[in-house]
Amino acid sequence: MTTTESPTTPPTKPPVTRAEQRSASIGSGLLRAVLTQRVVLLVVLLVAVIGVNMLLSANGYLTADYDFDYMASALIDAVPLVMLALAELIVIISGRGGIDLSIGAIVSLSGMVFGFAYQQWGWPFWAGLLLSAVTGTVLGLINGFLVAKLGFPALIATLATWYAYKSLAVVINDQKPISGKAIQGLFSSVDNKNLWLIGDWIPNIPLGVFTYMLPVVVGVWILLARGTYGRRLYGIGTNDTAATFAGIDVAGTRLRAYALSGLIAGVVAVYMVAEFSSARPDTGTSGSGLALPAITIAVLGGVAISGGIGRVAGVVLAALLVTWLNLGIQLSFPGNEGIQYQLLALGVLLVFAALLNGVATRRYGGST
Amino acid sequence: MTVIADPGADPTAPDVKARGRVLASPVTGQELVLLGVIAVLWVLLGFFTPAFLTAGSLQPLLVEVAPVALIGIGMTMVIITGGIDISVGGAIMVCAVTVAQTLVTYEMSIWVALLISVAIGAGLGLVNGFLIAYGRVPAIIITFGTANLFQWLGLQIFGSNTVNGIPSTLDVVGRGVNGRTLGIPHSFFITVVLVAIAWWYLRHTVGGRHLYAIGGDPVAARLAGVRVRRRTLLVYLVTGALVGIGALFYLAKGTSTLDQSIGSGRELAVIAAVVIGGTSIMGGRGSVLGTLLGALLVQTVTSGVTQLGWPSQLSDLFVGLAIIVAVGTDLLRQRARTSATRSQR
Repeated sequence: MTTTESPTTPPTKPPVTRAEQRSASIGSGLLRAVLTQRVVLLVVLLVAVIGVNMLLSANGYLTADYDFDYMASALIDAVPLVMLALAELIVIISGRGGIDLSIGAIVSLSGMVFGFAYQQWGWPFWAGLLLSAVTGTVLGLINGFLVAKLGFPALIATLATWYAYKSLAVVINDQKPISGKAIQGLFSSVDNKNLWLIGDWIPNIPLGVFTYMLPVVVGVWILLARGTYGRRLYGIGTNDTAATFAGIDVAGTRLRAYALSGLIAGVVAVYMVAEFSSARPDTGTSGSGLALPAITIAVLGGVAISGGIGRVAGVVLAALLVTWLNLGIQLSFPGNEGIQYQLLALGVLLVFAALLNGVATRRYGGST
Repeated sequence: MTVIADPGADPTAPDVKARGRVLASPVTGQELVLLGVIAVLWVLLGFFTPAFLTAGSLQPLLVEVAPVALIGIGMTMVIITGGIDISVGGAIMVCAVTVAQTLVTYEMSIWVALLISVAIGAGLGLVNGFLIAYGRVPAIIITFGTANLFQWLGLQIFGSNTVNGIPSTLDVVGRGVNGRTLGIPHSFFITVVLVAIAWWYLRHTVGGRHLYAIGGDPVAARLAGVRVRRRTLLVYLVTGALVGIGALFYLAKGTSTLDQSIGSGRELAVIAAVVIGGTSIMGGRGSVLGTLLGALLVQTVTSGVTQLGWPSQLSDLFVGLAIIVAVGTDLLRQRARTSATRSQR
């Protein structure tokens, strides 16, 4: 995404360039906004997706009503996506090829640890949550140590730890999931249920959105857009050397980015245990894993893979877009076929967004 | 191995000394280390589990190595140019299921199957290469996207969950007795030949050196006259074609059923073999011989863990550690080399 303003300040009037003078009309201004402001593009796409699906629904083409209640209840799947995509946002912003392939494996391993603590050892919930978060943070610190202190390329370091964590998660309880009364009781803490406000006055938003997703979204936003840590992070992601000369502890800042990513994964682990009512050793690694969708959503949300560029709002919008698009596909093609078309949609969206970045760069210049 | 990009130079030019330094030894340090590690592991495993060093154990090992190392040839070239291909898992699925469906419907020779598979693989590689070279988009993003697309395509061709009743046409490159000559699986033999060709291409042809130049610095390479886009397109095309061959190896596993798990996670196995083999993920350095040895090491560890009676998933932990150690030693060597050049000045 080519924005001239610093990512940490709200958009101010960009400096007038020659290209801008040439394209002063409203139409080209809008085109420019769609091409260069990822948030604008995502809002346009979101409106289109919701509009088309509601139109299809009203004319009876879908197997169920695509209404606000249904859209809200689908958010139960969006919670882990948003949180993990934010984790990827943080590490990708940190630059030097930053990426975290191990994040799904961290979810698996921390979830197993939580399962042990909460179900087998009978710890209170908050202690289990804390242990899971600490586990995730430690696993993230290992990634950060390899990448920031030893200089491993992030792709390779996290590929290696993906293998290692995944293996530990499976071996730790002899390839068996952990389940029981205590864990099964957790489902009510994330599910949608009628409270005095939800379900009566506003659509049926699952509880997990408020208990897990919103705190993380707000926390990450404050950290990135309102704190000094965020400034340092965007700084090292944009230019390592310049940041060093500016007196920033580059290695320490980057190390913390990976630890944060692990921390978020540790919290997601508890959410997933609650959602599935069991701690499964392959929660984050089965199929193509959780890392791939998280990275996809981060990139769709406008994060530049080269580092230094990316916003929380873009990532959240991208996750909503994917969730509600998937919901529409599910209602159009039920069952297995629907899941297949979701793959297609995700792939097309990602390639489309990436190509659009290229077009925007060539047309309006910039440093993507 | 620092390769001086000098595409304009006549290979027979008198500057033998500089060329000699680069090409003096046929193998690099990383490859020797890998050979040593594999040898030690084989001796140790042979000592602790007497069954390890028998044909009955080594033949399946080589059968497993073959497709990983084969696709690894293409992946090595891709990574040397500074790219990456996450989509090979999906591409394997598309090739394998298409061939499987065609084999179930029509009777055909292995050559026709090979032609179909390679053509499809190359087509998918062309899509990747075109988007990456001409769309000017990071390879990792595009191949994340096409990974999803290929998976969708594969599932569409699958139709139902499995393909049943695949005839034994492909046994020649498979597991059984028909797939071996002198005790060596044909698939492994084919892989070694192709590794040798790729090794020669990368070290002794101008085209091969261009790939290192692109990975080292694409802008400098373009200014030096390398057709960067065309070469980039080509490496993804070649990777796709190799995926086409590798998919047949995966398909010829001796059972008549193919399920949707084919190809899933293979891209990471291939990338692991490539980086353990000493290819730098930043581009500009690497060798296909190292990739072959990397794949051998990974499979040795995997078989070793199983034969020692440990839980099979534990092998992933060792693969992870192997990646860290391999890349770590390479980083250390690089640092030593940088400080050596500095002190020379």
